[in-house]
Amino acid sequence: MLDTRYRVEIPGGINLEAQVVGPIPRSLAFAIDLAIRGIIVFVLSIAAIPFGAFGLGGGFFLIFLFAIEWLYPVLFEVFWRGQTPGKKALGISVINDDLTPVTLGTSLVRNLLRSIDFLPLFYLAGLVTMLCNRRFQRLGDLAAGTLVISVRESSRPASQKDIVPLAPSTALLRAEQTSIIDFLQRSSQLSEPRQKELASLLEGVTHEKNENGVEKLHRMGAWFLGVR
Amino acid sequence: MNLDKLQVNAIIRSGWQSVDLGFLMARAWFRPLYLAGLLAMLPLALVLWLIFWQSPFWALAITWWLKPFWERMPLFIASRKLFGEEASPWSSIRSFPLKDILPWLLWRRFSMQRAFDNPVTVLEELKGEQRRQRLRVLHGKYSDVALGNQFICFCFELLACFGIALILDFFTPESFDLKLYDVYGDLSLLGAWVFSLSGLLAMTLTMPFHSMAGFALYLNRRIELEAWDIEISFRNLANRKRIGESRPAGLLASMVLASLIALAIPGGAEAAIDHDRESASKLIEEVLQGEDFGQQRTVRKWRFKDWSEEVDEESFPEWMIEFFEWWEENVDWSTDFSGAAGLLKIVLVILALVLVIYLLRRYRGPLSSLGRGARRETAPEVLFGLDVTPQSLPADVPAQVMQLWAAGSYREALSLLYRASLSRLIEKYELAFRASHTEAECAALVRAQGVDSLSEYFWQLTLVWRRLAYGHQVPDSEIVQDLCQGWTSEFTDEPQ
Repeated sequence: MLDTRYRVEIPGGINLEAQVVGPIPRSLAFAIDLAIRGIIVFVLSIAAIPFGAFGLGGGFFLIFLFAIEWLYPVLFEVFWRGQTPGKKALGISVINDDLTPVTLGTSLVRNLLRSIDFLPLFYLAGLVTMLCNRRFQRLGDLAAGTLVISVRESSRPASQKDIVPLAPSTALLRAEQTSIIDFLQRSSQLSEPRQKELASLLEGVTHEKNENGVEKLHRMGAWFLGVR
Repeated sequence: MNLDKLQVNAIIRSGWQSVDLGFLMARAWFRPLYLAGLLAMLPLALVLWLIFWQSPFWALAITWWLKPFWERMPLFIASRKLFGEEASPWSSIRSFPLKDILPWLLWRRFSMQRAFDNPVTVLEELKGEQRRQRLRVLHGKYSDVALGNQFICFCFELLACFGIALILDFFTPESFDLKLYDVYGDLSLLGAWVFSLSGLLAMTLTMPFHSMAGFALYLNRRIELEAWDIEISFRNLANRKRIGESRPAGLLASMVLASLIALAIPGGAEAAIDHDRESASKLIEEVLQGEDFGQQRTVRKWRFKDWSEEVDEESFPEWMIEFFEWWEENVDWSTDFSGAAGLLKIVLVILALVLVIYLLRRYRGPLSSLGRGARRETAPEVLFGLDVTPQSLPADVPAQVMQLWAAGSYREALSLLYRASLSRLIEKYELAFRASHTEAECAALVRAQGVDSLSEYFWQLTLVWRRLAYGHQVPDSEIVQDLCQGWTSEFTDEPQ
């Protein structure tokens, strides 16, 4: 089954999951970072003029240029939870492939290898390698053992207070409980007939039909959400 | 539409995540998707390149303009593959989806969300007002993502086009001129052919990814609006309940059934209980011999020799004196370090030196410990809540132990004996106990010392102590007496 999910089992049998991020969001994040770097370089080049374009000012400018080119992503990734400003804007972040935070070492490796991913022009090699493995790792990522994953947004709609909760009559698995909660919380997006259709699937559980079935599922959903 | 056969995991994703899923789909079904687009395109492309053989960019431009039509082929294939149906590249060409093609090739050619909107025309076959309404519902918050998809995929296409041509250039030997450009620096006819063909290749290569990204976005919207994930989950739940009900009703019946099964397969039912200690431990041994446990690895690495640590810190080392002498002779301060650049040079040299010193200091610990195996740590003062400092022990341990034992305070007696042993082990054998070690781990450390009588004795003591401490099983007096005698012979016979 196709999925962008990436799973790591840690000792103790616990599965950690993350969603890997593909070339399109990553390219956009890169474009944003490129723009930011461009602005910084532009400002610095103006600021360096008074100190002599071919003397001290020029020298310092070249050093800053070097630092920004090579250290900008590393510093942001290491000290800002794996996110450069561009990645932050796209809601993605860099992480080691065992889902621990990136360290200086891994971040340095993946960013130094940018120069290889850049070949033959503008990260074509990086793009091709990303498409060659299902975790979308470019060469730098493969060498450093890092991944780009999407940062989970924690936005759950508020729980439904005006519904009288109802304890389910049979035991339900966790995934089933979640889907009943989803059914309640997404009911505003679903059409009436579709809701009835979905509720009719669970006649064996609710023992109700049509609107009553929908209502009963909503009440069970409220119960699973913790309304009492 | 049979959701049971859905080939992608139906969960609600963000817009970007669904675009990523689209790339995965394109990866997984790349061959049929690619071939479907290419086969549809090829006859026309051949004709066009033959007609415009002197200006092949026209052929490329026309083929490129017809892209909305070519893109329908991979989409058709993917819509079948999505539900696990087999679909050959030919089937899409046979279906020849021409629906509503004119608007797509004229004004909608400029649409920036083509890949996202395409399924509504090709798969839902909606037109006019119906299509507009449907798109209004679908677009929602995903317009930006569809736009981003279109834009970035266009960039990828350009990138691939020039990249392919450039790679060709990279791998041509210097001595061999491909003559892509004529003497005026303009593209030659061969150059035009090379660039137009690499453009065609780039177009076909990116097409599956672009259209699958749009398709996945469309799919995500359908999953969201029609709650496919909830339907799948509800169906599974209903199936589970139905299977549960079809079994013999009631707990009793199932218990009877279970016991019947148990009788029918004696080995299976008894396997769980029919092991005495002997055979069980033998079985455990066997399991532990298996490949999953106890792997052995030979690790080879460089380590430092155990140099003597007495370095006279007061005098300068020889190399430093030599270095400064060399410096005096060869470096001219007035020319090498004048002006701001010179100052900067000095600052950089100092910074580099500081960095080297910092790194040496930072990694001195791990480097120097390489030679000596485990680092000698400060011995713990408390192990499992027992004070193991030598000061806390009485002068004559065995006598004190027997006295306590006779008085009936068994726990105190054995704990004294045990912690006295630990204390002596730390003192005499310099065992690197850590506060986090358990009793058994301590015993293993003792065994690693290689003194048989000692490890045997300590293991006995550990067993007795553990039984008393945690199991509240008081040992016989003889055992304690033996242990006390053992203690005397193990720990006190040699003078310290």
